[in-house]
Amino acid sequence: MFVFNFPDVGEGIHEGRVVEWLVAEGDPVTEDQPLVKVETDKAVVELPSPHTGTVLRLHAAADAEIFVGDPLVTIGSPDEELPEEVAGEKESAAAPSTSPKAVGPEAPAPQTGVARRPLATPRTRALARKLGVDLQQISGSGSGGRITDEDLQRAADGGGPAPPAPTAPSAPVGVVAATADGEVERVPITHLRKMIANAMRASKHNAAHVTHVDEADVTDLVEHYRRSKPVIEERSGVRLTLLPFFIKALVTNLQKYPIFNASVDEEKQEILYKKYYNIGIAVDTPEGLIVPVIRDADSKNLVELAGEVADKAERARSRELSLDEIRGGSCTITNIGPLGGVFATPIINQPELAIVGLHAIKERPEVVNGEIAIRKMMYLSISFDHRYIDGAEAARFMSDLVRLVSEPMVLMARL
Amino acid sequence: MVVGSVSRGCQVVVIGAGPGGYVAAIRLAQLGKDVILVEKNATLGGVCLNVGCIPSKALIHASELAHEVAHAENMGLSIEGLSVDLPKMVEWKDGIVERLTSGVAFLCKQNGVEVVHGAAEFVSDRKLVVASEDDRVEIEFEQAVIATGSRPMALDGFPHDGEKIIGSTEALSLQSVPERLVVIGAGYIGLELGTVYAKLGSKVSIVEFLPKVMPDLDAEVGKALTRQLKKLKVGLHLSHRAESFEPGDPSVVVARGPKDEELRFDADVVMMSVGRLPNVEGLGLDAAGVTTDEKGFITVNDKMQTSAPGIYAIGDVVGGALLAHKAYQEAKVAAGVIAGEPAAFDSLVPAVIYTDPEVAWVGLGEGEAKEQGHNVVTGSFPFKASGRAMSLDSTDGFVKAIADADTKQLLGVVAVGRGVSEFIGEATLALEMGAFLEDVALTIHPHPTMSEALQEAIEGALGQAVHMVNK
Repeated sequence: MFVFNFPDVGEGIHEGRVVEWLVAEGDPVTEDQPLVKVETDKAVVELPSPHTGTVLRLHAAADAEIFVGDPLVTIGSPDEELPEEVAGEKESAAAPSTSPKAVGPEAPAPQTGVARRPLATPRTRALARKLGVDLQQISGSGSGGRITDEDLQRAADGGGPAPPAPTAPSAPVGVVAATADGEVERVPITHLRKMIANAMRASKHNAAHVTHVDEADVTDLVEHYRRSKPVIEERSGVRLTLLPFFIKALVTNLQKYPIFNASVDEEKQEILYKKYYNIGIAVDTPEGLIVPVIRDADSKNLVELAGEVADKAERARSRELSLDEIRGGSCTITNIGPLGGVFATPIINQPELAIVGLHAIKERPEVVNGEIAIRKMMYLSISFDHRYIDGAEAARFMSDLVRLVSEPMVLMARL
Repeated sequence: MVVGSVSRGCQVVVIGAGPGGYVAAIRLAQLGKDVILVEKNATLGGVCLNVGCIPSKALIHASELAHEVAHAENMGLSIEGLSVDLPKMVEWKDGIVERLTSGVAFLCKQNGVEVVHGAAEFVSDRKLVVASEDDRVEIEFEQAVIATGSRPMALDGFPHDGEKIIGSTEALSLQSVPERLVVIGAGYIGLELGTVYAKLGSKVSIVEFLPKVMPDLDAEVGKALTRQLKKLKVGLHLSHRAESFEPGDPSVVVARGPKDEELRFDADVVMMSVGRLPNVEGLGLDAAGVTTDEKGFITVNDKMQTSAPGIYAIGDVVGGALLAHKAYQEAKVAAGVIAGEPAAFDSLVPAVIYTDPEVAWVGLGEGEAKEQGHNVVTGSFPFKASGRAMSLDSTDGFVKAIADADTKQLLGVVAVGRGVSEFIGEATLALEMGAFLEDVALTIHPHPTMSEALQEAIEGALGQAVHMVNK
């Protein structure tokens, strides 16, 4: 018998939500067969079965909040008697032998057979007995992994047995109640929304945000794009947009200004210049902001970039991205232009140091060679962390970026 | 039913009024239970108060004081004509015992615990009989707590007579200091009382079957104890089997050494301290359906429940560390479970040996920590480097901290030195709270105290000790 616990899927993720069970109690499963969809930080991951056997018990209901180390499913042979308390007889509560679809580092090495004392104070251990929670199954959120009273309460609230027929989560339904000021609908905040809220607050709190805005005449770029688009689309079958041009321009500029492709190790007080160009693309989804990452954008051509952006945006909206596809970015683009507006001041996607905003392209009268002409103009913004990047540097960076997108031949020359 | 017997009923009966039994009875009464406490002896308090922890500590302190003032020339103190009046010392000790045992009786009374004197025997899983010289009382109970404790083990060929061959009980009430005392067994009782009589002037020889003193503890502990015994001119004979006893004046203890050689020790008194046995005989455990392990200790789970539903057992009679404070905690767990609370025993048990220097430890030793798969780091601070130890003229010993090198979690502490018993409780608290090395390192320890050594040892494990050179 094996108890499969919610593994550490990397990147400091320690909680998630069960989206959908793909197996039911009594089902036979084979090794690597997807068991469950779990929503973590910003992705929905499918966790594959570490073993071949029969599903004896599902430990978490659909929609339940789960924490790393929580039991998810017990797998054994069909005739095996399930003990009342699985805890004492389970195999090591470590990572499964197979990783979830495309994840980072493995969970910590399995412990030896000797049971170690759970890291909890006597008061918390007494509470665990009262709540009937097995401390060995809890991963602590306190200092150094101490199990807190709150961890226990969460486990006690969310760790009930699975319902007979797990279903996909329905859209959040609010409770409408009358108040003195009128009716108010109370809707629980989704997991993704909480994650976004925490990330945004942390970024605003930690970074010294400044936004610098410049403007570019993209008439020629749009002209080139319009001309080449049908040809490229016919040959490649990929729908071309303007975004890949901006990705290329950004990467080219990042190579010249490495601080904009860096992050900071605060503890060691060191700047980490990334030698890779993984560009995050902010995607608006019905449930909230998700930022898939285009890895090694410097080594991909416009068609490849277009195809990848389209695919990842689509999968972001259907929540099918793996964790690997939303982490490891070195700089981010938010393409807010198609939705209108003049310009915005986006929040840095930490630990990165800068985010580039692409704003609406509009035809405006401009003075060209002493004459007024109708030109396609756009604002480009960069929000940067003034702790590590000075305003003058940002101005130079933007001025070069503007030049790259204003003069496609210059961009081409650099590609 | 025997003529003249009385039949009684209660919710809970507790058998044995030692540290386990009286605490269980008082706590049960506090939780609203109707409790009868059965005690075979005339006084409450068990071995601990009457013939164990407390009286031995009284004599240890008195003998230490005598030894200290007699060896204080280097501090400029010369005492002429120091004499030891052992009967007076024993009388002082008896006064302490009297105060404490009557204190327990007072607490029982105030909490509404009824005490019945006599020997208890189960006749079923819901009834027992308490027999005394005067009467026989039948007690029907809903639940029972067995807390009958332990007694010294005997050794073949050494018949206990209370005069020439004694146990720890008599050793606490001798009327004169024996000229030659042979102690059989170098466990904590043998070491503690052997040291007492060495300090009071006896020529002490300790005969131990095992090749090491305190073999389960850190090797440094045994070394420190051996060194001090040598200073006290105690003969320590390890790997020696005590074979026979020849009564006489003096008597002779015959022992066999590691090379099969025979050794003869002249003895005015022989003290046996070769281990302890659970008090289960005559209890009627079979009638109650209570099972024991192969050594006779009652088997219990972490709720102190025996194999018989409704019957609990606590203290020495369940084995493990035979220590009063373990019994206290088990008593509270049993009382809690009986009262319907979700109690269970999951505490660390610190231990202290009141030798000179004292030895105290809690949590995992270095070897145990490695066995559990920890990547171990240790830090050790010698009292030689402690200002407080120097000012006490007691620089023997050290404090050693054992921790997980990766997580920096504290796993255990071993301490040898004067007064270390007083701060092993701090180490226990640190472990119970799941402390990391930094937690203790960042806690101010008052200066100058012996407890600073704990902080220094832990800083040493972090490679940050200030008052010694880091390894």
